[in-house]
Amino acid sequence: MKAKEYVEKVKSREISAVKTTKGILNEIKKINGTYSFFNAISENLALELAERIDKNPKGKLAGLPISIKDDLCVKGVETTCSSNILKGYRPPFNATLVNNLIREGAVIIGKTNQDAFGFGSFNVNTDMGIPKNPVAFCGVSGVSPTYGLVSRYGLIDYANSLDKLGPIAKYVEDLELVLDVIKGYDFKDSTSLKQDIIKEKEVKKVGLIKETLDVDPKIKDIILKKLDEMNVEYEKVLLPKTSKYALPSYYIIAMAEASTNLAKYCGMRYGQEGKVNLPFNESFSEVRTKNFNKEVKRRIILGTFTRMAGYRDAFYLKAMKVRTLVIEEYKDLFKKYDLLVSPTMPIVAPKLSEVNKLKPRDHYMMDVMTVGPNLAGIPHMSVNAGFYDKLPVGIMFTANHLNEKRLFQVGKGL
Amino acid sequence: MTKIGLEIHLQLNTLSKVFCSCSTKQVETPNSNVCEICCGFPGSKPVLNKEAFEKALKIALALDCKINRVTFFSRKGYFYPDLPKNFQITQYESPIGINGKFRGIRIRRVHLEEDPGALVHKGSYCLVDYNRSGIPLVEIVTEPDFKTAKEAREFLRELITDLSYLDVYDKKSDFGLKADLNISTTGAKVEIKNVNGLKDIEDALTYEEERQSREVPKNSETRGWNAERRITVLQRTKESEDDYGYITETDLPVIEVSDKLLKVIKDSIPELSKEKLTRFTSQYKLSDKDAKVLSNNKRLSELFEKVAKQVDPEIAAKWIIRDLVNQLNYHKKTLDQANIKPEYMIDLLKLFEGKNITDNTTKQVMIKLIKEKNFSPKEYIEKNNLIMQSSNSKIEEWCEQAVKDCPQAVEDYKNGNEKSLNFVVGKVMQLSNKTANPDIVRKILVKLIRK
Ligand SMILES: [Zn+2]
Repeated sequence: MKAKEYVEKVKSREISAVKTTKGILNEIKKINGTYSFFNAISENLALELAERIDKNPKGKLAGLPISIKDDLCVKGVETTCSSNILKGYRPPFNATLVNNLIREGAVIIGKTNQDAFGFGSFNVNTDMGIPKNPVAFCGVSGVSPTYGLVSRYGLIDYANSLDKLGPIAKYVEDLELVLDVIKGYDFKDSTSLKQDIIKEKEVKKVGLIKETLDVDPKIKDIILKKLDEMNVEYEKVLLPKTSKYALPSYYIIAMAEASTNLAKYCGMRYGQEGKVNLPFNESFSEVRTKNFNKEVKRRIILGTFTRMAGYRDAFYLKAMKVRTLVIEEYKDLFKKYDLLVSPTMPIVAPKLSEVNKLKPRDHYMMDVMTVGPNLAGIPHMSVNAGFYDKLPVGIMFTANHLNEKRLFQVGKGL
Repeated sequence: MTKIGLEIHLQLNTLSKVFCSCSTKQVETPNSNVCEICCGFPGSKPVLNKEAFEKALKIALALDCKINRVTFFSRKGYFYPDLPKNFQITQYESPIGINGKFRGIRIRRVHLEEDPGALVHKGSYCLVDYNRSGIPLVEIVTEPDFKTAKEAREFLRELITDLSYLDVYDKKSDFGLKADLNISTTGAKVEIKNVNGLKDIEDALTYEEERQSREVPKNSETRGWNAERRITVLQRTKESEDDYGYITETDLPVIEVSDKLLKVIKDSIPELSKEKLTRFTSQYKLSDKDAKVLSNNKRLSELFEKVAKQVDPEIAAKWIIRDLVNQLNYHKKTLDQANIKPEYMIDLLKLFEGKNITDNTTKQVMIKLIKEKNFSPKEYIEKNNLIMQSSNSKIEEWCEQAVKDCPQAVEDYKNGNEKSLNFVVGKVMQLSNKTANPDIVRKILVKLIRK
């Protein structure tokens, strides 16, 4: 059932929000022991919200159960970014996005697992958060909107200038419905946009990014087949600078920003508590050494290195310049094309046993398709294009700033 | 040769903190004036306080700086318990102003940043209070242009006077001013961190100059000021420059200073103390001493100028610059606390100027004006019949009574003791409730006694 139909049924009292919520909570509790989808189940909050809806079924998302990724603050509900260092932390405030969802009647059921601080490519979730690879691997849809369209207030930062929040759901219609609720200017996030999405939704001409076709040929075939089915004029286009420089620039900026964002976790003010003795630096190090995982530490070290005097010019400042070039390259293509197309991932979902064999660099390569749009702050959407050995393959559409309507237009037609 | 440079940190007198809506008022209870933003909780984001930015811009303009028309914030990373995010939001590549000049000293840069919290040492342990965290600070960095500690202090004194004119800084809070002091004499450069207030800054520099003449520093070092023992103490020697790993604070937008904003702020800058001093001596013919008192005190000079428009400036100067200031000191009140309405002062001094009240009455009423709220001199004088009596018949009556009451003094005067007349005049004043015109009293008494 699409979200919209469900909401209509809650509003006409055909469906009880409390009943649905209880059912979902039971289901989660049953399977969470095995799969650890959830870091925290917000049973009390969920039931309270559901009861409120059954009494007064109102809002665009009335009674709709939604899970929140663990890097978004929900007041009073343990929020850890799946990192040991934040264990026990209950934020004293809601993220703006969470407030917006609740205002429109959503039922917050819990916090979903992720890689610590969003590092790494393998999360299993069908929720709100930074939708990236899980979308393609799970065969669901996700949209990452224009940077600043959705307030980041209450998002526990990974890389401030890159982080975008968007929904993940089964149907494109649901993405549109939820994005409509969570978007909008928020004075608490100074980078949030005052402009709204552009009304234009017609897609006449599409550019297929040639460099992204250098993937498993079976994935390429699925993408091309899907494109033919779409019945829209398309041609191959080149993104040479982005293909070459976006990934290293993305990682330099992300790690530099992340290394400052992660500085605050030192066992003194929230989350893990350490006894702070003098010299305090040693106490801080002890807590950080014990509670950050290897990947987080790797990124803190790399990020700190790129912003140190002597290396700053060669890495961080250069990456910032590349970013401008990447934006320009996209803008040029959008003069001619309404959308750009590529596979979402270079491979299909690996098994857990294979994940463990991947080297850090292999992980970073998973991001190769999404870093360009993320660096440029432009919206992109991934939907399922088909299956390869029973594993889903995602197709990604990228649009110019605030052209989300075009993404939804093609997404709904697939 | 001694070279001194200052890195001055001043608290701006904004209503709220620089990146959140917490008040800047000083609060007794530790950690009670805080929120998720000034405590750096995960997920919180800063929002720039427009008032703080405009005040920093005003300072940069007043110090004759070149304004960076595109400016942004940076993260300065270091770990310290009083720093909630373990980075400070400050400005690095693009300070609000650069290359200025003030009182002959070159200004390298002026930028805006957030104050950290405060560490409170208690015996064997240490507590952290974040109430101060997020108070807007403006950092003013001078070139090493001072040659003596005294010069540095005089510069700071003039600076904070002018900044209080600009209404960007509260002069009363001496804690609102901290400085890092760079001083080199014959050896390497020494930095003294975090010295509070003008007196300690001068003393630390004087001490350090003397110390360096005894033990010439070979390497650059950082020292601290021990305010109890009045000495500087070595904190660490510096092999290389500190590395704070600055990156752009992308949670805050890049700020473009528009022509319009620049003009509005420029136009809002009032006359500063040095210009005021010159104008007061020429326009009101004040003595240097009086003019200096006024130019160093914004409120007093405002009051004076309002009054001097309607009352002879010489009279205004006597009563406001000298008598009022003395009485305020005596009653341990500031002009702000006394909150004297200029209209009331004008009423009072006009009565004096028109010879409607005596010197004595003026003084008594002024004290009431200082001590009482919403006190109207005019009403009070009328109600209590304090208008100076110049009618001869009335004064004659009091004089005749006084001559009767003070036979001994009258006798002494007759025998050539001129001073004893004052005693009889005093008696008349007492009888008249201080309203008799003393000149007339004297004339009548002399006439009566000689008769
Ligand atoms: Zn605050």
